[in-house]
Amino acid sequence: MSKFAKIPLMIAGVGAGLFVGTFTMYMFNLDMKMMTLVAPLLEKWYDSREHDFYL
Amino acid sequence: MKDLKHLIYFENLLQQANNELIAEAKKKGGIAVAYTCENVPEPLLNLGKCFSIRLHAPQTGSMDIATYYMTNLLCEPSRALLERAIEGGYNFADCVITPDGCTMINRCVENMELLKTMGQDNPNFFHEYMEIAFKNTPADYDLSVLQCTNHILKPLQEHYGVDISDKAIRKAVEKHNKLVKVIREIGEFRKGDKPRITGYEFHVLCLATYVCPVDLIMKKLEETLEELKTREPDEKDWRCKILLVGSEVDDSSFIKLIEDNGAMVACDRFCFGSYPGRTEIVLNDEEDALTQVCRHYIQNCQCPRMMNQEKVYSRKQYVADLAAEYDVDGIIYQQVKFCDPWAYERMLGSSMLIHDYGYPVLSIDRPYNASSSAGQLRTRVQAFVESIEIKKIQRGGTK
Amino acid sequence: MSNMKTVEVVYNTRERAGEKSPGKIYSEKLKVRRRREWRGLKDTLFDYSRWCYLMFGVLGKFILNPRNVKGFLRYRWMMSYLFVPHGMDKFTIGLRDEALRITHYAMNYVIADVTQAIHNCFRGDRRVGNDVAYSEKCCITDENSMVPFVMGFDKEKMHTILREVPTMFASNIFHQFNVMHYLDVAQQNGIPGDVCPMPEAEAGVSMDDDFCVLGACAVQNNTTCDGSLMGNGIIAKRLEKQYGIPTYQLATPLRHQEEDVIDYAVEQIKGAIAFIEEHTGEKWEWPVYFEAARRVNVATRCRNAQLEINSTPYPQFFGAVFSLYNDTNYMGNAGRDPYFEVLDKKLLKLAEQGYKEKRMYAKEYRHRAIVWGVQPQYVIDMLYWMVQCWGVVPLVDMLSVINKDMIAETDTPENREQAFRDMAMLNMQMIMRNHTHGGYKVLVDELWDLCEKMNADVVMMWEHMSCKALNGMHGMFEEQGRERGIHIMWVNHDLCDPRVFTRSAIRDQVNRYMRTVMREEPLDPSLEHIPDDEAY
Repeated sequence: MSKFAKIPLMIAGVGAGLFVGTFTMYMFNLDMKMMTLVAPLLEKWYDSREHDFYL
Repeated sequence: MKDLKHLIYFENLLQQANNELIAEAKKKGGIAVAYTCENVPEPLLNLGKCFSIRLHAPQTGSMDIATYYMTNLLCEPSRALLERAIEGGYNFADCVITPDGCTMINRCVENMELLKTMGQDNPNFFHEYMEIAFKNTPADYDLSVLQCTNHILKPLQEHYGVDISDKAIRKAVEKHNKLVKVIREIGEFRKGDKPRITGYEFHVLCLATYVCPVDLIMKKLEETLEELKTREPDEKDWRCKILLVGSEVDDSSFIKLIEDNGAMVACDRFCFGSYPGRTEIVLNDEEDALTQVCRHYIQNCQCPRMMNQEKVYSRKQYVADLAAEYDVDGIIYQQVKFCDPWAYERMLGSSMLIHDYGYPVLSIDRPYNASSSAGQLRTRVQAFVESIEIKKIQRGGTK
Repeated sequence: MSNMKTVEVVYNTRERAGEKSPGKIYSEKLKVRRRREWRGLKDTLFDYSRWCYLMFGVLGKFILNPRNVKGFLRYRWMMSYLFVPHGMDKFTIGLRDEALRITHYAMNYVIADVTQAIHNCFRGDRRVGNDVAYSEKCCITDENSMVPFVMGFDKEKMHTILREVPTMFASNIFHQFNVMHYLDVAQQNGIPGDVCPMPEAEAGVSMDDDFCVLGACAVQNNTTCDGSLMGNGIIAKRLEKQYGIPTYQLATPLRHQEEDVIDYAVEQIKGAIAFIEEHTGEKWEWPVYFEAARRVNVATRCRNAQLEINSTPYPQFFGAVFSLYNDTNYMGNAGRDPYFEVLDKKLLKLAEQGYKEKRMYAKEYRHRAIVWGVQPQYVIDMLYWMVQCWGVVPLVDMLSVINKDMIAETDTPENREQAFRDMAMLNMQMIMRNHTHGGYKVLVDELWDLCEKMNADVVMMWEHMSCKALNGMHGMFEEQGRERGIHIMWVNHDLCDPRVFTRSAIRDQVNRYMRTVMREEPLDPSLEHIPDDEAY
């Protein structure tokens, strides 16, 4: 197969891979599950910050 | 101190919303103009044969029926007023003027209207709801004039033939100022190290001027003033003097509770109090009286719903000025539970009075009927008084 | 029960593709769902494509900007936006076909709008982007504020920053607990817990120094209520005294049905405009105003048409997303963003299509409900739950019953005068406030008129326990509802504080009513009890 014919195949392959990866992430809710791990760490970060209280 | 001659008389008047003087005034052909808020210019409710009665609900026990209509999430004064209305306690009213000042009182009166609690036998009875000013600006003066014209003066004229002319307004202002002069002079006796009148006694007298036809109590007020001029003060000193700030206080037992702990309520900046409700209205001859009256009420208004920042800051300055004038040791900021405007005002006010003006402040919320939470209130006041005394000792007896 | 109004049950003739029991994808252990809903191939791919758009086109693009990362780490409320896709999942439960598309297009743009608002805040924020030149052309407004007074300012020259929207309003939709910190700050400093949590939280954000600090000036409004009015004082004090940002209090009359307040309302609008001109140096432009007015009219026509469709047996665009979309379009946008015109028409087209096809959101519509009262932010998706679980279709909510009339849109000298009255009217007819204030007729009588017009047999009454304006008419609603044979389903909540009423406590109020009063079984038992009290 020529180089030029391979390029669309490579693009299709990458596209398919991206699709499978993102669709898996979407379908199994992996994005939000990951955020549930990030959120507590962020809470600690926000709690540790100094606050300029003013009334 | 020797009891004031007319104190029991005034105390008795306050036991009922529909007191004997209202009946007497009505028998003489008077028109009872009921109202619910200090933002309504009082002189306009006292034109000609009209006499103003600010609605209150003494001896309130159960509020079950009102609570059904309004839920237990609304402030107790609003529910107490509705309960009293449903019981027939305000049947004397010939009309009700309600400003849209706070949501809860507004809903209270709307329920009164929908439940037809008043005016069943009076074909001329009416309810009026008015917009009131939000800021101290010329546009607000114009708004107030228009609202008073449309929702107080015209209805009174149309329903009861009341004279609403400039001359009539000036006459009403004159009457108002006469009352103000007497009350303020009485109030002066709260000053000094040996006050000749207690905060409780003063509150009884002042409250009576809101809930009774003024014409029928003027004589006794003037006599009381004369009596005070020669009254011997108590030998024993008060532990401290305080300024009481906040929302409705139409329950004198609350003042008594504070004073029973040795803290004299030397000055009153609350609804039903003398500041700013009993402030002289100065009229000139160049401008119509209505505009001047409206402007006076807006400029002197200390209600937290006045929203421009100058008012937000000036309300605290006003409290600080009163505190200095009456030489108080501390300030009690109080609100009736579930009052939204005073919830925020109390918070900001007590913070500013402590940090910006250096006054000790007790910040409390309470039920409408103070005696239902007397133990808790007493404890808070006692602790506050002790803290003031400790601070005084630490400062070597100075303020 | 014999005098109670009834409506004809409408049956869905189509079998729903994909997941039959979406309740099964909730997890007690996880704070998010086990997986996303399978909606059949076509709709799942569509849903997936919208997820990609949100993740990479909106949120991903946002976080690629280092300034936004800085802002993200500076402000606690930003954490809510980690869960935006989770929020979309809540709004799309059980949806297919046109309903799915309507929800996505509407809500995706609301999210894009909020994202842009945050982006703008961070750009001008002294602690983050500190773009001084940009900030000096910004005017901060309240969250619960109509913005007609900026309709005549060119968006590219004078920037209106709704900085309170991302902090509390929007954030609580995606993360139910995120506002609690600010409520705690406010309450620790003396504001009682019985006041409305919305202005209380805003005051808490200000006290905790978690608002972006930018702008040449700020315009505050006393809408919606006493709480908003009072909270503004605390916020303005910090803005003025600490940050040197002048504030203008735009007083909006409460008695909005009366003619004798309009002149004052007009003066306030003029004052706000003059204030902004003075502090930003930008001028009001009538052509800009009338173009925005034209778009406001397009939005009004589309909204009226949507409500017409909702009056039929096959309502199409309703629920939380309808409400949030109207909030954003009517209140936050006021004709300034040209894309809303495109979207309005697109959504209407989809709704008309769905109506023609007799599309339904659930197996049956057993009851037709008007949703009245102030809705809770942290369980705002509940209306979709209600239709899926019990077949109670929410035809319209109180916050979507807003201005129906056209405003002047042609630039003439007379219309310029009329424009001020129109702006004043829009300001007074603010979402929610046009019913909670202005007299009992707009709160109580209008509800019964709506029930009649939209053929509703049920009122789902959100009883926000801190909303005194609504609670004050509780008894009247009961009595008058009974007279008219309308079921009133009271559902208590505390707006954005889930500690007072959890999500399941809220849903259980409906469950109990449906079982004990209506004597019905759920359409989808898997949804009756959802273990999401601890979920985001």
